[in-house]
Amino acid sequence: MKKTFLVAGLSAISLFIASLAMAHTPLCSCYDNGDGTITCEGGFSDGSSAAGVIMRLMDASGKVLMEGKMNEDSEFTCKKPDGPYKVQFDAGPGHLVDVNGDDIVE
Amino acid sequence: MKKVFFVSLGFIVSLLFSIPAFAHFQMIYTPEIALEKGEKIDLKLVFTHPFEAGHTMDMGTPLEFFVVHKEKKTDLLDTLKPITWTSLTNSGKAFETSYKLRGMGDWVFCLVPAYYYDEGEGIYMQQITKMVVNTVGAPTDWDTEIGLPAEIVSLDKPYALWTGCVFRGIVKSAGKPVPFAEVEVEYMNHMPMMDKNAFAKEAKAEAPQDAFVTMGIKANAAGEFAFGIPKAGWWGFAALGVGPDTQHDGKELSQDAVIWIKAVDM
Repeated sequence: MKKTFLVAGLSAISLFIASLAMAHTPLCSCYDNGDGTITCEGGFSDGSSAAGVIMRLMDASGKVLMEGKMNEDSEFTCKKPDGPYKVQFDAGPGHLVDVNGDDIVE
Repeated sequence: MKKVFFVSLGFIVSLLFSIPAFAHFQMIYTPEIALEKGEKIDLKLVFTHPFEAGHTMDMGTPLEFFVVHKEKKTDLLDTLKPITWTSLTNSGKAFETSYKLRGMGDWVFCLVPAYYYDEGEGIYMQQITKMVVNTVGAPTDWDTEIGLPAEIVSLDKPYALWTGCVFRGIVKSAGKPVPFAEVEVEYMNHMPMMDKNAFAKEAKAEAPQDAFVTMGIKANAAGEFAFGIPKAGWWGFAALGVGPDTQHDGKELSQDAVIWIKAVDM
């Protein structure tokens, strides 16, 4: 009996955690540092950290130019590509944010 | 003759006493506080009566003006420029500045104004004021206790409120909750015109009676208050006389905590 209760409790908790994970929105914003580099900040609408989230730089055709990770301050700095580009914040399925290079200004 | 004198004196006195019925509010104003991305914003610091856009007091040079972003404090006192702000009845000394928001999160603007002597009430006032701007929707500092002598700590994001939402806060004095604190609530009824440094003549709402101009509410035993927002726009909350300092220059001091919120229609 106790075991059933525990299992039910655990699955309820895991459901709860899963629903929390779904409820938050990934957020990413980038700016041009004016020195040939750009910095992106990431996070989630519930205030949780984006440390370790995969960051991609892609050209106009979608080819990945560079891949890296958000640092412990949820920031990612890299060299600004020459041509048209976009930045992708990839926190897993349903948690992708694309930032167009044209919108990355000083 | 004497009678006429006394009647008119009585009238003048009653006029004098009727002025403090509308609340003083220190404003930190910028048109938009929920921004899509980091940008330069313009700020106006005005000490006024926002519902009536009435008598605007002369501000002295503030003691402190700073912003907190991702727990980092940046001093902005030297960026303030004096301006003259025009209300519907007078004009008063105020300040303006601009600030470049970079990246995302919350920026908590904090003002510790100069002591203001209110001749009508015969006391000094100091309204320690907070206003929070957010970019991209990322929450970072909106619920942080800054550590001001008198402070309202938000329990709801002051920039993410629909009309009809409830705004809750905790009134604190030197970090401790103030049970049953008296809180005045007032609607910014005349919009500030940024380019003219003046209030718009047009009123957004009409109060049926003075109790609706400055609404007096009280915190509960834990120092928490809640207010249901009936109309979109800016609302100011001022917890009166809650700060630890009660005297300045040999006179009574009311050290108040002010916070501003902005609600939008769905």
